[in-house]
Parts: sequence; structure tokens; C-alpha cells
Amino acid sequence: MTLGKKRVYLAGLALQLFLIIAVSSRDTFWVLSKSRTVFPESSKNFWQQSEQIASTALGQRLPRSNPVRQILAGYLHLSGIEVGYGFFGPNIPNSYKLVFELRFPDGHVEYELPRVSNAASVLRVAGLLDQIGRTHSEAFRQTMVRMLADAVWREHANATTIRAIFGSVILPSVPEFEHGKRESYEFLYAYDFSVSEESTEQSAP
Amino acid sequence: MRFSASQRRLIDFFFPAESDSWLAILRIGLGFQVVLYALSLLGEAILSLESFLVPRLGWFVTLGTRVGLREETVLSVAWICLLACSCGLLVGVASRFCAILAWFLHLCAAKSGGLVSYGMDNFMTIGLFYLMLSPLPDRHSLDWRLRKLRVNDPQLLGFWRRVLQLHLSIIYFFSGLTKCLGTGWWDGSNVWRALIRPPFNIINPEILATWKYLFPLAGIFICLLEIGYPFFIWNSQTRKIWLICICTMHVGIGITMGMYLFAFVMIVLNVAAFGPRLGRMECRTTNLQPQKAVS
Repeated sequence: MTLGKKRVYLAGLALQLFLIIAVSSRDTFWVLSKSRTVFPESSKNFWQQSEQIASTALGQRLPRSNPVRQILAGYLHLSGIEVGYGFFGPNIPNSYKLVFELRFPDGHVEYELPRVSNAASVLRVAGLLDQIGRTHSEAFRQTMVRMLADAVWREHANATTIRAIFGSVILPSVPEFEHGKRESYEFLYAYDFSVSEESTEQSAP
Repeated sequence: MRFSASQRRLIDFFFPAESDSWLAILRIGLGFQVVLYALSLLGEAILSLESFLVPRLGWFVTLGTRVGLREETVLSVAWICLLACSCGLLVGVASRFCAILAWFLHLCAAKSGGLVSYGMDNFMTIGLFYLMLSPLPDRHSLDWRLRKLRVNDPQLLGFWRRVLQLHLSIIYFFSGLTKCLGTGWWDGSNVWRALIRPPFNIINPEILATWKYLFPLAGIFICLLEIGYPFFIWNSQTRKIWLICICTMHVGIGITMGMYLFAFVMIVLNVAAFGPRLGRMECRTTNLQPQKAVS
């Protein structure tokens, strides 16, 4: 291999490593600015600013249509490095649960969970529920719940209404568990879907 | 052109003459991973809108409908192609073509279901991305044995292995760092929460509670293992123990939390990156000869 070729490879590697570290730093700073960590609360502003610097380096503060941003984002996705690696850190949040209450013309009621076909799908749906739970966009939440409700409805075509109840799963600590406390649910949102109506009604706690 | 000693060391570090054992592990491991992935695939059609450059299955569906094919037909063809190229990777037939196609189809599937993708998808993309860029075929493949295809640059093999090694080091460092900054990993409460949190709660909490004294140890062990990875995996004296521990951790995650595919892809990447210098594989001679450095 010629020296010129090696230099090209090294330049490519330098860019790749820069992007990996920038993305990992951005996500780490984001987590630190949002979570309870060993750092004092007052440091959150610092982490937010750091996250913004990392985002700038990745071109994410450019307009969405900017070609540089598009190309960088495209490359990050193509190489699988668009997200950081803070798995289960710094703390493990509560999970979310979605239950569908189906009402039938004869008055009986059935309860269903989102349909999954295998173990891998369970993890995917759990990830989706986490995103629904954490989002600040009501439109996004409603759209996602509607999509999941549609899937259940296809399995129960004769149901007249579906109520989607979205809640947070509160996990007990070990001492609480030993004293008899089990996981509990905190109601967050409910959406009603009916055959005749397109619109949904929402009730919140 | 003259090299200083430091430049020479740098070049030697990034372009070591390397056998292709690691590439064979990566190809076969990812081939098996893609088979498992294809069998577990969901048919979501949620679009990722981050960039118009990011591929997705919707491209094929749109193209298919223009020539009169139904969505189901297009998706079935894509799925069969993914399964076929994963089998191609497993045995090493048309290795490069299969690696590119597997990367592309997996990416399309993962990005089409962007909201339901998780860490495993990213690691598969990373592995397949490096695999398709690496100098295939390796000498364990049918391409090598039957079609007599040869790769004549061991330094390039060494370079791509370095890329994978450095990437893994960064991954574990950041993963460990983020964990270390949370108090829950030091007192073990995060281990407990990880194991009882739906959908990872496959072990009865009653049984888990009897192991409560192990949780702080496990939490500290995981933190130190991950954050110490980039420091200890490069040292020849600690590499073996670190690799065994990290693979054991992933086996543990797979068994106790049901993340089988995630565990498998991580083990494949780790063994490909740092495994071949351990044990028997190191003793095998290679018929690849390093080229003379050009100066």
C-alpha cells in the first residue's frame, strides 16, 4: 500500500473517530443535563451548553435543509453512529405500559396489550413506549398510540370503541419489594377511538 | 520521503500486517446475526426523516408500486434477499456483494422502523458497515477456496481491524462513563431495576431479591469493566481476561434480560476485534505476506 493511500485511509479514520466521539459526547452531555447524577444540579447549564457545542460540531444547528447537515446526518445513519452509547446510564428510568380497553356491541369488554410476535419485538415495542412516554409532543404521542391501536383493531374488527390507557410503571426498590410492594402503575394519558369518529378524545391525570 | 520515528510508529499502529481470521469471525458472526434478525423482522413502515440520504424500505415499495407490485410482495422480496445474503455471508459466497446488500437491506429495515429500533440495530449497522469496507474475501470463505479470489494486502486487513477495535473502545468508554456518573450503579439499585424493568423482567423478582447482596458488586463490576475497556483491552497481559469478562457480561445480559440478538452481535464484534490473537488462531500461519513499506 502506498503512503498516499495510507494517508487517505488515516484521514477517513480521523473523521470517523471524530464523528463517533462527537455523537457520543453530545448524547452523554444531553443525559447529564437531564438526569440526576453525581454532579450538582447547578452543573446542568454547563452540560446543556456542552451538548450544544457538540451538536454544532455535527452540523445539527444548521437549517434542516442545509446540504452539509443532510450529508453529515446521512453518513451518521449509514455507518450506524448516529446515537451515543449511554445504555442504562446514568440511571434506569421507569418503563411505560399501554393497555387497550376494547368495547364490543354486546357490551362486553376485553383488555389487550400491543401485539408482538417474538422476543425481539417485545424490546422494540418497549422502546417505542419509552419514546411515547418521554416526548413533549402531544401530536406525536397521539399518532403513535393511534397506530398501535389500529393494529389491535385489525385483530378485533367488531369492536366499537377502543380506549388506549397509557401509564408509567413504578418499580419498587429491593427493600420495598421485600416489604411486599410490587410494581405499580401511574395513569398518564387515555385516548378514545371509535369506529364512527376519526377524532380522538384525550383525558389526562 | 523521510519518516520520523513517531510517524513510523503511527503508521505501524494503524496498518499492522494482519491475518484475516478476525474478518472470518466478523463475516460468519454477522451472517448468523442477520439470519436471526431476518427471522425476527417486523414489517413496520414508520419513516425516518433525519436525512433524505437515509435509505428505507419505502423506497422499494414506491418503486414496486410503479411497476405494479403490491407492498407485501416488495417487502417479501426484500426479506428473502436479506435472508439470502445472510446465508451468502455465512458460507462466504460473493462475500463483498452479500456484505453490501446485507448492510443496505438491514439499514432500510432498521430505518423504516426507526422508532422501534434499538441498540442492536446500530451495532448491526456498524458491523456490516465495516465488514463491507474490509478486504473480503477471507481464506475461510468459499470465494477463497472455490473461486480462488485473493486479497493481497494484509496491512489493509490490519487497518480495518484497528478501526473496529478503536470504535469498540470508544463505545465501552462512553457507556461506562455514563453509568459511573449515576449513583444507582454503585449501590446496585440499577442492576435490580434493569432486571425487573419490563420487558427485561424474565427472572422472577422473588429469586432476584435473594441475590440482593450481589447487586452492588455487579454494578461496580460493570462500570469498571466498561470504562476500563479502552485501557485494559489493548494491553496483551490483560486483554484475555477483559475480553472474557466483557463477553461473559453480554452472555449474562442476553440470558437474564432476554436481549439475545444484542448480546450476540456484541460478542461477535468483540471477538472479531480482539479475539484472534488469543489462543489457537494466533498460531495459524497465514499465506498473506506483508508488502514492503513504501517510503
